[in-house]
Amino acid sequence: MCLCAHTSRAQEELDDLLEGFEDELEEIITDQPSDAGPGLWELTGDLSVSASYAYAHTHSDPIKREYRGLAALRTQLRLQLDLDLPRDWRARVSGRGFYDSAYRIQGRRNFTDEALDTSEDELEFQEIWLQGSLLPQLDLKFGRQIVNWGRSETIRVIDVLNPLDNREPGLVDIEDLRLPVVMTKLDYYHGPWTLTGIAVHETRFDENPDFGSEFFPIAVPPPPENTPGNGGSNTEWAAALTGIFSGWDVSLHWARFFDDTAHLELVPAAIGPPRPQLEHARLTMLGASGNYAMGNWLLKAEAAYFDGLEYFVLAGDDKTRWDIMGGLEYAGFDDTTISLDVVRRHISGFDSRLENDPDFVENNRVETAFRYTTEFMNSRLRATYLATIFGTPFDGGGFMRLSCDYELRDALTVGGGIVLYMGGDFPTFEANRKNDRLFFTAKYSF
Amino acid sequence: MIHTCFRPRLAQLARILALGFLVLPGNPWAETLSAREIMQRVEDRDDGDNGTQDMEMILIDKNGNQRIRNIHVFSKDKGEDTLQLMFFITPADVKDTGFLTYDYDGVEKDDDQWLYLPALKKTKRIASSDKSGSFMGSDFNYSDMTDRELDNYDYTLMKETEVKGVKVWQIEGIPRTEEESDETGYKKSIVFVRQDNYVVIRGVNWVNKGGKLKYFEVKKLELIDGIWVATEMTMTTKKSKKTLHKTVLRSHNVKFNQDLVEDLFTIRRLEKGL
Repeated sequence: MCLCAHTSRAQEELDDLLEGFEDELEEIITDQPSDAGPGLWELTGDLSVSASYAYAHTHSDPIKREYRGLAALRTQLRLQLDLDLPRDWRARVSGRGFYDSAYRIQGRRNFTDEALDTSEDELEFQEIWLQGSLLPQLDLKFGRQIVNWGRSETIRVIDVLNPLDNREPGLVDIEDLRLPVVMTKLDYYHGPWTLTGIAVHETRFDENPDFGSEFFPIAVPPPPENTPGNGGSNTEWAAALTGIFSGWDVSLHWARFFDDTAHLELVPAAIGPPRPQLEHARLTMLGASGNYAMGNWLLKAEAAYFDGLEYFVLAGDDKTRWDIMGGLEYAGFDDTTISLDVVRRHISGFDSRLENDPDFVENNRVETAFRYTTEFMNSRLRATYLATIFGTPFDGGGFMRLSCDYELRDALTVGGGIVLYMGGDFPTFEANRKNDRLFFTAKYSF
Repeated sequence: MIHTCFRPRLAQLARILALGFLVLPGNPWAETLSAREIMQRVEDRDDGDNGTQDMEMILIDKNGNQRIRNIHVFSKDKGEDTLQLMFFITPADVKDTGFLTYDYDGVEKDDDQWLYLPALKKTKRIASSDKSGSFMGSDFNYSDMTDRELDNYDYTLMKETEVKGVKVWQIEGIPRTEEESDETGYKKSIVFVRQDNYVVIRGVNWVNKGGKLKYFEVKKLELIDGIWVATEMTMTTKKSKKTLHKTVLRSHNVKFNQDLVEDLFTIRRLEKGL
């Protein structure tokens, strides 16, 4: 009798549970994309408003590069025009413009001309390229573009082709982090292998904080910078061989390019003593990278050998450097990804004078990047924690960023967070250690 | 407990019904099938090859607010394995995001997956043998979007019943190992399989965490090029009978036997976009 009652109760519970299906579905009417298929052209883009507030300094003193209060109030528009051409060729033209009214609100006279030129407004073309197949297994992409080598999302080892926007470390939107340059790129496909050849025609370097910016580390203007012209003998070259297999992939890389990091040189002057000037050395890189997927783990590795590094104290001499990175990514928790990347950069035949002004280079430099990303509310809310720290044991400085993005509705997100800068042995980070700020962004995509 | 005086009548009725089943044309249940055999037929059912479709995914929260994703899907069978390529069309902030999957048959080999992120201009390999995570924020898990290994489950035929006037088998499936349960995110499922075409038209999944239940239902089933296709499905997440979130998945422009080549299902194509 007890068993029958238990079974009966369980059956009742199950029956009750199975009543949970909704018999009538309310009519949900949506706007379906046109059935006519992709047209000849498509215009997309996004409009965003972002703001940041520097709170760590006790007051503002532009001479001392101390800023407290509204640090940015930027309105940005990004437009992208995609064209479908005959025979499966495509073209893209994209651009971006922004105006930061924080400078006007804070008083433009409180900022240097260089800082205003760099950060108050901007209007530029970004990607402009033409892409198609020359042969069934040979693709061409010509124009201003971004080529993202490497496996890490945070640390760059073999990812040397595109410069970065470093004007506001930790605050730049990831879409704007890499700066496009004009390249001719050929890709030849054969089974799991891809052979890539690249000629970079545009000489462009990292965009760094300018004199007067709170992220510029010193209180005097930098020396003039020698920027090589575009193309001709200044063309940069690169090649890669990539293999994609089940569970793993591997790639080999070579590049001949200008060092994005400038070094100081004394150059002869027409009159008077030699004068200091920032120069970009020509480097050669040989590198390799790979991924290995193992259950919920992704193992990443990158290694690169650089030849031709130049420094002020070693005028006329150059150095080589080995960069070796290992990384792990774990996706075993629902809607969560955790990654840890560590790189060690070792200069061969190190000269201790390199540790001093103006080079500030270490024999072995370790950089650690940790990222934690998780989603809630059916991906409506996304939280990311990113920490990038230099040195062992983490004494070189770095920054941490905690951000959240919330999808108000389709294509409209709001977000915000905080960036904390950590001082340390590296002068740049020590100079920035009080630049902590809160930030907010609203973005509408169309 | 059936009273003894009714037994002869029931026995006679059973014989009549059995004869009737044998006589009726197209009798799909002339033989007695076990639950495992039924599920094998579900798996073996022709689901089409070289297919394309436009998938509309409507995410509805408990307040009725909707978010809509439109995805174009290509799929092709390669032996026992399945190749699938998806491109997001809308909303604008995820447009051109692509997802390439090599879904391997058998438990020995993890699927290969890649995600193209337009913002980074980069293809990222995804390592996730755990399929319990949400598919693009929907109520469907990745395990709901792929075939499960029958050998990893114990199936029990509960009873024969009807759903909206259609005869179905009600089958319980329980993972044999904790590993399988962790990978799918479910500790038990009950499915309702149509007897005429072996399509799963309803299901309830017991979620491992949080005491939740997921109700799956096929709202529209169409015969396209001789293939039964669920052109509208829902997955509703409930807890204590309250709806937490619901996803409606609609398929438009479903076509089979398209001339899809294997070269379509490559990183090269993933990065080029639709």
